[in-house]
Amino acid sequence: MAYSDKVIEHYNNPRNVGQMDKNSTAVGTGLVGAPECGDVMRLQIKVNPETRVIEDAKFKTFGCGSAIASSSLATEWVKGKTVDEALEIKNTDIVKELALPPVKIHCSVLAEDAIRAAIGDWKKKNVALGEQAAVPVAIAAN
Amino acid sequence: MTVVAEPSKKLVCWSCGSDNDADAQFCATCGKLQPYTPTDYFSFFGLPRRFVLDRVALEKQFYQLSRKLHPDLYVRAGAQEQQWSLEKSSVLNDAWRTLREPLARTEYLLSLLGIRLEEQSRDASDRAAASGTVKQQVVPSDLLEEVFELNMQLEEMRMAKAGGADDPELRRDLEAARENFYQQLKVSEQDLQRLWAEWDSSADNEATRQTTQEKMVDLLNRRSYIRNLLRDVEEALKS
Ligand code: FES
Ligand SMILES: [Zn+2]
Repeated sequence: MAYSDKVIEHYNNPRNVGQMDKNSTAVGTGLVGAPECGDVMRLQIKVNPETRVIEDAKFKTFGCGSAIASSSLATEWVKGKTVDEALEIKNTDIVKELALPPVKIHCSVLAEDAIRAAIGDWKKKNVALGEQAAVPVAIAAN
Repeated sequence: MTVVAEPSKKLVCWSCGSDNDADAQFCATCGKLQPYTPTDYFSFFGLPRRFVLDRVALEKQFYQLSRKLHPDLYVRAGAQEQQWSLEKSSVLNDAWRTLREPLARTEYLLSLLGIRLEEQSRDASDRAAASGTVKQQVVPSDLLEEVFELNMQLEEMRMAKAGGADDPELRRDLEAARENFYQQLKVSEQDLQRLWAEWDSSADNEATRQTTQEKMVDLLNRRSYIRNLLRDVEEALKS
């Protein structure tokens, strides 16, 4: 199947591959998978506790080109956003940006799931610490 | 084989007007081929919806039917009968391919029960997105961790190989992992067989059926990860 130029570009030149300390309270980790193809994706964010801005993001994906490109793009997009803004990122935005064909939509869904899982993890940790206890894992209206 | 469930409606023969079972391919009275009506693969073979199936009996039935439905037999028949024999022959082949394979049959019967494995994962994503919550993964997170870790090792192995080195320790780890996953597949197969029998024998217990269905889905999802992983492990171990 032919990949779009943007997918190929991200694939050959993935941004923000790597990992962060998943035990750090500032770090949220999302590990998600697609049973259809067996692909797995880990996306991590580092959040400033004061501003709730995502200051860094890393990913590691074992999967197809579209999944790699989707997660690469996702890390680029979440950086600089607050966690609430990041929750607004939709897989359809990724599909559009990367010109993914219908059969590859689940790869972009994986990236959206990963963002939400990472933020959920960060929130859980920080709620547990007694901070931001009022914010459940939900999209806060901004 | 006796048909136990699903009370059949009647089918009136287009040629002689006598009554037949709804599933009948041929009229019991005059022997004429009956119209093709889209139906599920179990009904096509006149079988009740069961996970456990006698493959030998099915095979016999398949060959018998494929002979009797063969389009060559209908070249001198009416256009309609020709058409039916074509349609039925093609369904017959699909039905046979699906039902003879226990796992394909399982997925198929689950889909008849309204459970689609792929949609399940998609639905969970949609629900999470709509409610702004974290998606409930369809497999337990420990399996995901395991899959992820093993992928890391596989990558290491590939890199070592590309550099011309083969790390014997890594290779041993991967071989152990391979054993472990084959073992898991074997266990899950036994679990599946147990669940099939349990579902089949609880026609009057909807609650039991529900739970066994869910367990089957769970097992199938696990298996799909493990199978993909094994494919990659085999690939990496090949030298
Ligand atoms: S094919 Fe599965 S994530 Fe792309
Ligand atoms: Zn008849």
